[in-house]
Amino acid sequence: MLEGSILQKLKASHELGQGDKRPLNFGVYYKNTLVALCHALEDAILEADYSPLVITAFQRGKWYLQEADRYHSIAERSPQVVIMASDDAGFAEHPTSQKENVALVALDDADPVAQEWHLIILSPDYTAMVLCQELTEADYGATGFPQEDLERKFYGFWTFEPGLVLETVELAIAHIGRYNSELHQRLIVQREAIAARIQQEDALCHQPTADHLGRTVSRVVDYLQENQQDLNHRIEPLDNNLTSNELQAFLRVAQLIDQTDLSNPMAAAEVASLAEAMGQLVDLPSWQLHRLRLAGLLHRIALLDKVENRLTAGTSIYQQVESPDMALSCPLVQGVQMLRKMGRLRAIATILTHHTEAWNGSGQPAGLSGDEIPVEARILGLVACFQQRVARYRAAAPEEAIETLLTQALADCRAEESDRWDPKLIEVLTLLVKGLQQGMSLPIAMPKIAAGLWMLDSHSEEELLRYEESMADLPLI
Amino acid sequence: MDIATIRASKLKHLAGADLEDEDLSHIDLSKVNLAGANLSGANLAAAKLVGANLDGANLVGCQLTGTDLRANLLGANLMQADLTEADLRGANLRGANLMQARLSNTAMAGAFLSGANLMGVNLQRVDLRGADLRGVNLSGANLNGTNLAQADLQGAILSNANLEEADLRDANLAGANLSGANLLCADLEGASWAGVNWTGACVVGTLLEGKVEK
Repeated sequence: MLEGSILQKLKASHELGQGDKRPLNFGVYYKNTLVALCHALEDAILEADYSPLVITAFQRGKWYLQEADRYHSIAERSPQVVIMASDDAGFAEHPTSQKENVALVALDDADPVAQEWHLIILSPDYTAMVLCQELTEADYGATGFPQEDLERKFYGFWTFEPGLVLETVELAIAHIGRYNSELHQRLIVQREAIAARIQQEDALCHQPTADHLGRTVSRVVDYLQENQQDLNHRIEPLDNNLTSNELQAFLRVAQLIDQTDLSNPMAAAEVASLAEAMGQLVDLPSWQLHRLRLAGLLHRIALLDKVENRLTAGTSIYQQVESPDMALSCPLVQGVQMLRKMGRLRAIATILTHHTEAWNGSGQPAGLSGDEIPVEARILGLVACFQQRVARYRAAAPEEAIETLLTQALADCRAEESDRWDPKLIEVLTLLVKGLQQGMSLPIAMPKIAAGLWMLDSHSEEELLRYEESMADLPLI
Repeated sequence: MDIATIRASKLKHLAGADLEDEDLSHIDLSKVNLAGANLSGANLAAAKLVGANLDGANLVGCQLTGTDLRANLLGANLMQADLTEADLRGANLRGANLMQARLSNTAMAGAFLSGANLMGVNLQRVDLRGADLRGVNLSGANLNGTNLAQADLQGAILSNANLEEADLRDANLAGANLSGANLLCADLEGASWAGVNWTGACVVGTLLEGKVEK
């Protein structure tokens, strides 16, 4: 990693021992992927009234010129756009460059930022960034520098996390200060104004919603898929990279939902592990276990709602899982619809749609009962509710032993046996809890976001019910 | 051996049977003894072989898509077999030959693979969580994005392997040979790596001991 680059500085401030920050987890991105990703994140600016500060690094002026017309429209919607690139191809002459609110920073050739690819978008209602650095000739190793431009590789990450974006904007502004002190001062003032508004309760960048973040993520998936069609599966690593990023888009939303729920920030990882363990106990086939794990990681996406509904309902979306009386405000759950964009997540979408059904048929959204509810949806519904209850008891009594919390949450679920929950699964959960209380441990790991392809199965949505009949004679261990 | 008989009966002893090229798809052969049986070219798609004994069996070119193979496959020959979405969790594959086998979305969590031949195998979408891969030769293998969390890779030969974005959290890599391996953006948090040979390995963006390398 190049010393003095923005990525390297951000990485350094996240190393172990630097307060409570987590080390950054990087992924690999082909140029092909980055173009689609950046276009999708940029186009969100054109669709809503975010008025963001946009800071970019394009490596070379000629790459910026390829995007300069797009940036003309982006500049119409942004109070300030900063373009960092090495000064070649006469990049200052383009009409976009002439606009008053577009500032060019001509990077020295020796500047490490000239090897980086950044898109940083900061506004109270929308924060997003792509932060990458290109591999050097040496990093490519034996294969050497790729022949095709689209096969050039970068490493870094992309995110919607407001905290990380704010931190990076500060680093970028400091870097710009070396070139232009007047711009530097102006950016500091702009950053502070936005940072203050981000602190306010109504800032949407902290509140994942279906019509803002959800729409942006749908666009990311659309653009990556369009790219994939153009690619026509010719180059496998590039195709995989696009698929991986479609999945990453959803995992990043789930991550953001967890981060914004301070009382239960590990919900995705814990539900995924519990669901997989339950699936193992009822001896589901391995592909179904992988699917169940992925559904667990993504389950809170089903709770995404529109901004207006959230404001009028006045309740946290997180309470809806726990209380069956508080029906989801829209039966065709908004968040689930966006999962359907990715063909291989359709089965996950169906599982999430039905995880709020009840065994006696009184649940939402379809009023399915008994074995009509896909087994994965039944398992997921039960463990998601159980986990949420454990988290709530933990928040109420942080000093209480975990064994007691598990007992309390289990008792609550047992009280709803046959009404809300499948009695067979209550039995399995009871076994699992007993195991946990006797020292069995479940590995609770946050997903490695860049490496999730192993969880995608090739089975179709229709097969969700195929294993229902065999549920009758479950081998209860 | 008549296939109808096998399907109808509760045969438990088929050791040494010749079932070459037979269609055995969806058959239930759970706990059956098939030690040394010849199943080369057979179609065992979606069959159940949980708890079966396939010690030394010949499964060359076998169709094993979606097959439940949580079985004993000690020294079995699985060359060129299609193991797409097969279930090999906890299977005993010690000394088995998996050369040129097709493994895609195959579940191999907790499988025992020491002494297995995995040359030329693409393990990219394989779940190898907690698998025993001690001393396995995976030189030049494609493990791009592979889930190897908690896997035991002690003394494994991973020279020139592609471990880009691989999940190696809490894996045991003690004494492994990673020379010339590509570990770009791999995650090695909590992994033990005493005595690892990293010569010429690419560790750009690799997460190790609370910080990103390079």
